[in-house]
Amino acid sequence: MTTTRPPRRRSEGREPAQPAVVQAVQRLFAAETPEYFVLLGTTLFLVVFGLVMVLSSSSIEARAAGLDFWTQAARQGLYALVGIPVMLLAARAPAAFWRRWAGTAMAGALVLQLLVFLPGLGYERGQNRNWINLGSFTAQPSELIKLALVIWLAWVLSRKGEALYEWREVALPILPVTIIATGLVLVGNDLGTAVIIVAIVFGALFFAGVRLRMIGAIAGGFAVVALLFVQGSDSRSNRIQAWLDQCQDPALYSGDCWQTIHGWEALAHGGILGVGLGNSSGKWSWIPEAANDFIFAIIGEELGLMGALLVLVLFAVLAVCFVRIIRMNRDPFAKLAIASAMVWIIGQAFVNIAVVLGMLPVLGVPLPLVSAGGSALITTLAAIGIVLSFARKRPEVLTR
Amino acid sequence: MIIDARGSRRRMAFALLVVAVVVGAFAIRLVDLQIVQAAELTASAEQRRTIPVTTYGVRGSIVDSDGEVLADSVERFDITASPKNAKLDETWMTVDGERVKVPTAQAIQAIADLTGADPNELYRTLAENRDSDFAYLAKKVTLEVFTKVRDLGIPWVYSELHPARTYPSGAIAGNLVGFIGTDGPQAGIEIQQDECLAATNGKSTYESSADGVRLPGSTVVEQEAKDGGTIHLTIDADLQWYAQQVVAEYGTSLGADSGSAMIVEVATGRIMAAADWPSVDPNDVDGVGVGDLGARVFSTPFEPGSVIKVATFASLLDAGKISPRTELTVPGVYTEGLPEGSSIKDSWAHGDLRLTATGVLVNSSNIGTAMLSTRLGLEKRRAYLEAFGFNSDTAVDFYGESSGRVLPMNELDPLTGLTQQFGQGMSATSAQVAALYQTIGNGGVRMPLTLVDGCEWPDGTWTQRPSTEGIRVVSQAAADTTVQMMEVTAQEGFIKNMVAIPGYRVAVKTGTAEVAENGVYGSQRIVSVAGLVPAGDPQYAIVVTFVKPDTMRTSAAAAPAFAAIAKQVIKTFRITPQTKGAPSIPTTW
Repeated sequence: MTTTRPPRRRSEGREPAQPAVVQAVQRLFAAETPEYFVLLGTTLFLVVFGLVMVLSSSSIEARAAGLDFWTQAARQGLYALVGIPVMLLAARAPAAFWRRWAGTAMAGALVLQLLVFLPGLGYERGQNRNWINLGSFTAQPSELIKLALVIWLAWVLSRKGEALYEWREVALPILPVTIIATGLVLVGNDLGTAVIIVAIVFGALFFAGVRLRMIGAIAGGFAVVALLFVQGSDSRSNRIQAWLDQCQDPALYSGDCWQTIHGWEALAHGGILGVGLGNSSGKWSWIPEAANDFIFAIIGEELGLMGALLVLVLFAVLAVCFVRIIRMNRDPFAKLAIASAMVWIIGQAFVNIAVVLGMLPVLGVPLPLVSAGGSALITTLAAIGIVLSFARKRPEVLTR
Repeated sequence: MIIDARGSRRRMAFALLVVAVVVGAFAIRLVDLQIVQAAELTASAEQRRTIPVTTYGVRGSIVDSDGEVLADSVERFDITASPKNAKLDETWMTVDGERVKVPTAQAIQAIADLTGADPNELYRTLAENRDSDFAYLAKKVTLEVFTKVRDLGIPWVYSELHPARTYPSGAIAGNLVGFIGTDGPQAGIEIQQDECLAATNGKSTYESSADGVRLPGSTVVEQEAKDGGTIHLTIDADLQWYAQQVVAEYGTSLGADSGSAMIVEVATGRIMAAADWPSVDPNDVDGVGVGDLGARVFSTPFEPGSVIKVATFASLLDAGKISPRTELTVPGVYTEGLPEGSSIKDSWAHGDLRLTATGVLVNSSNIGTAMLSTRLGLEKRRAYLEAFGFNSDTAVDFYGESSGRVLPMNELDPLTGLTQQFGQGMSATSAQVAALYQTIGNGGVRMPLTLVDGCEWPDGTWTQRPSTEGIRVVSQAAADTTVQMMEVTAQEGFIKNMVAIPGYRVAVKTGTAEVAENGVYGSQRIVSVAGLVPAGDPQYAIVVTFVKPDTMRTSAAAAPAFAAIAKQVIKTFRITPQTKGAPSIPTTW
């Protein structure tokens, strides 16, 4: 085969001509900033690491449910195969694209969340009505709300500019949308997702430069509502009570503290170096949601303190990457979108880990990029794709 | 933006600071959980997850001299359940290969159908122990049943291995082998040799999942289970069966209360068969009365009667007091030296008889035996009886063995001192009588009576080997002469037609003992025939006894059974025919 088709792009001259496929891939990853590669690399590592841990932690429960050992892990692998191209495609999109679709995305996400309550389509898992059934696959629209919020909040706040000194401007339309979004999620009884949504909103306000006392005032309002919400349900207040008690009461062992205590015991079992991949005892039905909300406990058991610290370090690296990418961007929209994504991903990781460690009451949020769950993985990867799209070129190079 | 670049940077720095603080806090908490509190948390987790299990060693088997298995261990299974995990309304189950939810009652019915348990009972077991993680549903089911129960796939149903005992030869040697009850060995070799047979159960632990699954690789063996040894018996199971069959057949037709037969190898003292009728099938212990559970040949002494005269004549010959031709005038009644009102009579009325010593034995004259016995001092006569093994346990030391009774010197009155020489006023077991004939057949050397050949341990070593040290009781000449006199009895005695075996010479002695009931001798008899085959070179001693036969109350009742067993012994051990050299000793003068 000696087809010497001229390269589409002008070659640098010193390089030999590359096959078209190689060039296409090079273009896909083309970037000039180290942050891009650090963020991409860390993300891909977490995804692959997550697949390994999902296989380890889900295999037993899958078998116990009458499925194959590989079922959940294979499914998660499939989600990763969808999510990574989504991320890479998102990384290619220009900022204008996100601006144009921000409002539509937000509206669409809220509509999808409403579908959860549509009998036949939406359904309940555990006690959370947060799922829609799409034939052989299921999806969690609340994850899409988070993704939509990232660009929508950036879009809204960046357009307001100086107006953010005013209460009215800060509150509209963010406050009603936030209340609707969290309200819908809370009606579905998903406290964890609601907390993350509120955190994203506050993070966006914080990084948009809204005055701290305004943020404080809104936060106070939300705190009162949250308190009432917690008091409104025995199961929620009991969970909080168990946490405040640090599960010292043996009566709570088989109830609200079951997951927490077994999470601790799994971590303790792991010790410094861990019991080795696949050797967890906790995953043998002792820890509910082992592949999901409590996957960090399994990581700590199988890979020990070293593995657990590695995960912490990786999320810290992500945080540093996010901050650096924020700093190198001048476009407020870009800064706010990245900041929102950061609050989402890093915040959710911290909440998840804090729950496993018993430093927060059990909220039920997955560990981003690592835990099992298709919607969460794909939307999180998409959010990182958005961030990557702002990290491909240094601002000096931008012609805009 | 409403805040300047510096303000924005400050908020960014604050964000990074928060990240650093949170990560630091997490790291400290991780160290706290995974290092500082690790031991404590792991201990409480292990306490919850570690399940102790008993591992069973296999109880050793009991085999005959050819290795034929008489008692063996088999694997049975206890079906257990976790009532805590069993929902009483519905449960998962595999029906026709499909996992389906069924009412719990249906699952219980399925278990009951397979195990034969009462479904109501099973339901109660589950309903009444709601907090319990363990309950028995059925015990000792076979592998087949266990497999079917397992295939039901009911999640809260488990199983445990539970070794059980089986007796593949059934009732053969059931009297010797014994059996195992719910609380362990209950009788026979099973209990006597328990030290050899018993397995040592081991202990191990495993880690369990929350729903009771054993975690792979989590088993820790704290103590290995140790298998028991194999007990080798001296008996020949086929001969044992034959002896049991013969005793049962003749015992039934005689209307006897019970019967027994012993076959002992003369040269070694090894018991080739020890049959009791009626006796137990260890697989069905409840099938017979309590009195028939053991081995009467060892446990039940009786007044043996005239079969003991062989010991008397051997003693007198050994002491040089008589010869086979010693001439004696036997009166119709004997009172000499006896207390007022006491007398010794023969079983048939007669006037003065001129008998040789051999004639006395052949005719089984009590009077003649008493007269000859007086030639030896009472103390010496008694010592001979003890030397033949009476009044002490045989070397078998069978579980529940009786040593019979020979009165001590200070209790012996002149009458009993003479009657015990023909087997009245003393008692002995069939085993002791067999030992007497073994001694006579073995040239006067009593070998230790042996039932257990040894214990073969799983590692191939043997213990409990029997002693082969014989004790000389009487001289070779005295013993051989006694055998000759017994042969004359077989030739000329009143049962001669019944015990004759064409082509072979046999030596026998009959016994018809009166049974004392409430201290008074009545019409009931214990009849026996004891003897040696072949008479020219005795190899096997045989004793056949029937207790309280109805249709015939003389020793002739036992003769056909003796002959049948003697023929079987000849066949089993391929004894070569011999007709020449039969002694010819006059019985009268």
